[in-house]
Amino acid sequence: MTSKVSRETLYECVNAALLGARELKRNFRETVELQIGLKNYDPQKDKRFSGTVKLKHIPKPKMKVCVFGDQMHIDEASENDLPCMSADDLKKLNKDKKLVKKLAKKYDAFIASDALIKQIPRLLGPGLNKAGKFPTMCTHSEKLSEKVDEIKATIKFQMKKVLCLSVAIGHVDMTADELVQNIYLAMNFLVSLLKKHWQNVRSLHIKSTMGKSQRLY
Amino acid sequence: MAFVKALVLLRNKNMISPIDLHMLFFQLLHCQDKNLRQFLKENIVTDIKNINSKGKNMKLNKELQNFMYEMLTSKHAVAAKTSLDVMVELYNKHVWNDAKTVNILASACFSKVTKIMVAAIKFFIGKDNEEAEETDSDCESENENNVLKSTMMALKVSKKTKKKQRKLEKAKYIAQKNQKKKKAKASFDFSALHLIHDPQDLAEKLYKRLEKMNERFEVKLMTMNMISRLIGVHQLYLPNFYPLVQRFLFPHQREVTKVMVFAAQAAHNQVPPDDLEPVVRTLANNFVTERYSSEVMAMGLNAIRELCARNPYCMSDDLLQDLTQYKTYKNKGVMMAARSLLSLFRGKNPELLAKKDRGAPSELRMEKKVEQFGENSAVSYIPGAEILTFKTQGDDEGIGLGDTDSDDEWVDVSHSDNEMDTEEENNKAVNKSTDGNKEEEKVFSTKDALKEVMKLTAKERAARAADVVSSRFLSDADFAKIAAVQAAKEVEMFSNSRKNKKRKRAVENNAESGELVSLKSIEMIYKKRKHNKDARMETIMGGREGRDKFGAKRGRMNPNASTTNREKFKTKSFMMVKYKVAGKQKRSFREKQIRLRNSLLKQKKNY
Repeated sequence: MTSKVSRETLYECVNAALLGARELKRNFRETVELQIGLKNYDPQKDKRFSGTVKLKHIPKPKMKVCVFGDQMHIDEASENDLPCMSADDLKKLNKDKKLVKKLAKKYDAFIASDALIKQIPRLLGPGLNKAGKFPTMCTHSEKLSEKVDEIKATIKFQMKKVLCLSVAIGHVDMTADELVQNIYLAMNFLVSLLKKHWQNVRSLHIKSTMGKSQRLY
Repeated sequence: MAFVKALVLLRNKNMISPIDLHMLFFQLLHCQDKNLRQFLKENIVTDIKNINSKGKNMKLNKELQNFMYEMLTSKHAVAAKTSLDVMVELYNKHVWNDAKTVNILASACFSKVTKIMVAAIKFFIGKDNEEAEETDSDCESENENNVLKSTMMALKVSKKTKKKQRKLEKAKYIAQKNQKKKKAKASFDFSALHLIHDPQDLAEKLYKRLEKMNERFEVKLMTMNMISRLIGVHQLYLPNFYPLVQRFLFPHQREVTKVMVFAAQAAHNQVPPDDLEPVVRTLANNFVTERYSSEVMAMGLNAIRELCARNPYCMSDDLLQDLTQYKTYKNKGVMMAARSLLSLFRGKNPELLAKKDRGAPSELRMEKKVEQFGENSAVSYIPGAEILTFKTQGDDEGIGLGDTDSDDEWVDVSHSDNEMDTEEENNKAVNKSTDGNKEEEKVFSTKDALKEVMKLTAKERAARAADVVSSRFLSDADFAKIAAVQAAKEVEMFSNSRKNKKRKRAVENNAESGELVSLKSIEMIYKKRKHNKDARMETIMGGREGRDKFGAKRGRMNPNASTTNREKFKTKSFMMVKYKVAGKQKRSFREKQIRLRNSLLKQKKNY
């Protein structure tokens, strides 16, 4: 199976995607996506899978991460110019659904310090869960900026009702090598989640946000 | 009825539009005629099915669905129930299995009419009554077996006609089919729950209704089941649900095992531990105390295990250590339950266990860190992929990787890349005295490769695995190797504990927790017999093999001699020998006494 995607074709596709983006400059930095079609898989019967994997290179550097922290983390966050909120700030939201939704919309991900994370469902209600942005925990021993990078590099595979997935694996300013490494990592991880590994994969496409899609497999 | 049939005929010939007809049919449901209503319902279903049999007509479906929704909300209970039934049936037949149908059905969960509500909830919780189904099918299959037996007998006894043979074949076919059906058990279809638009809202509303509900206990249980499934499947946050469940967790509560299942279902790893801890505590306090029978204790322990399998964060070390002390309890059910809890936490969070209970650390366990609530557990590698940095013999022959010739080049290149990396690592780690270059040329056998992997520390492994995984696509053979390594790690003791190196433990199979909790897992409180019936029968049959039948050997000296009367007796029909078999009844002693007395009296009278 794997022999069908050789290193050359992969590089070809990635380069084509990058070239397409370079020729037609958009007003924003385009993201490169990996689109995967599955087969021999019944979403109604088989167990849905989901998994998170940390990529080698950050696919979306512009992701906004907000810190819900205790005093120490807030100090650290303000040093690093990260947006942050304290427990009192959260209490001010008063479980107001609209405000929580707004908050969830404003940021792409959240970090909470270990003391606070248990209270967050109490403070904010189900709003963050609903948006799929439940915060990740951070202890004092870890560096906040590293944690933020880790979250930025993390992508999530989640199988829903349909037989296709799409994940961001990079952006057009990355080099082809970096992109290829990310693609390898993401695909290997996804395939390891599948029951029949490569036999479950129908198609693979690489595509930049506004560009043409390149069929890989 | 006749009119309706005529209309159906017209519809089948496509003379009337379906919408008009169904509108009429739903109006006709107001009739007091049960047969008519039944007929109408069946007709609506088959008609919609036929419309959709050749490709779906989305526009028409939409109209019909809207119409059904109207009917569902109408005041007339029968019409509403019928439309609900129609939709459920169409969903189950995969005709209308879209989100819209499901959400209309979800709205039916709030109907004021209990029957409608129950039907809707039953649809969502699915064919949960597996046990009931099983017993039903058992009865059926028994019946069919009887039919089969009797037909076979009839064919043996009476004249063999073609008709009878046909009958026998039919009976056989049905019996076979039933057996097949039994084997292929219909697994629960989650799709309906997944298609709901706003599960959080639905769960909250259902919860509000449940709080004020004044229905029978079964209905309450069903609602609880649905809420717990919604929470589990969609990972919702409904903090008030847990205290409610807790109220029902008492040993004398009716159907308490089901309530336990719901409690476990409603747990998932995004529930804050503060909410779940009281549930665990009540389970422990109300069930796992020695004043109750051992079954109750075992059930409580099993329930705690199921809950903790889904959310291990809610357990405290004191409680867990108390609970695991039952591992040497005299009752086997309790003991097994406690041990299963122990082994669960050995995998999930050994630090909560007493030190002696933690077990010898295996390689895999040393790699895994204890997860805290809300931690990001994403890794940048596939654990076990480090094995691929070691060339095995299979690779050289080109079998192991399954690559064609054209790709061999780049595979080799990437290999050497990896080895370059590993070289550096080795130099850093000073783990081995061998030179990096030597290693490059080395070709490991599979076992040696495993050994090499075991020598590495967790960090090195992670680095190596990350390198491999981000440098090429892995093939199926590679995945097989990875699985082998992970299994080996589970068995292999952590290399620091040299003492136990020789002793290898059997792999504990930690089954992945599915989306639902089965009732069986909690009710598993009886010890398994060493020999179940099948095993016993097997040994019996084994003993019988190669031995003669018991009893006197009645062979004739001369095989051509005629049969005795006694032998003939056996082949005669029963009616012929009935009286002979019965034999003379001997009089009992008392009867004889009475007769004697009577005869003596008679003699006296005569004189």
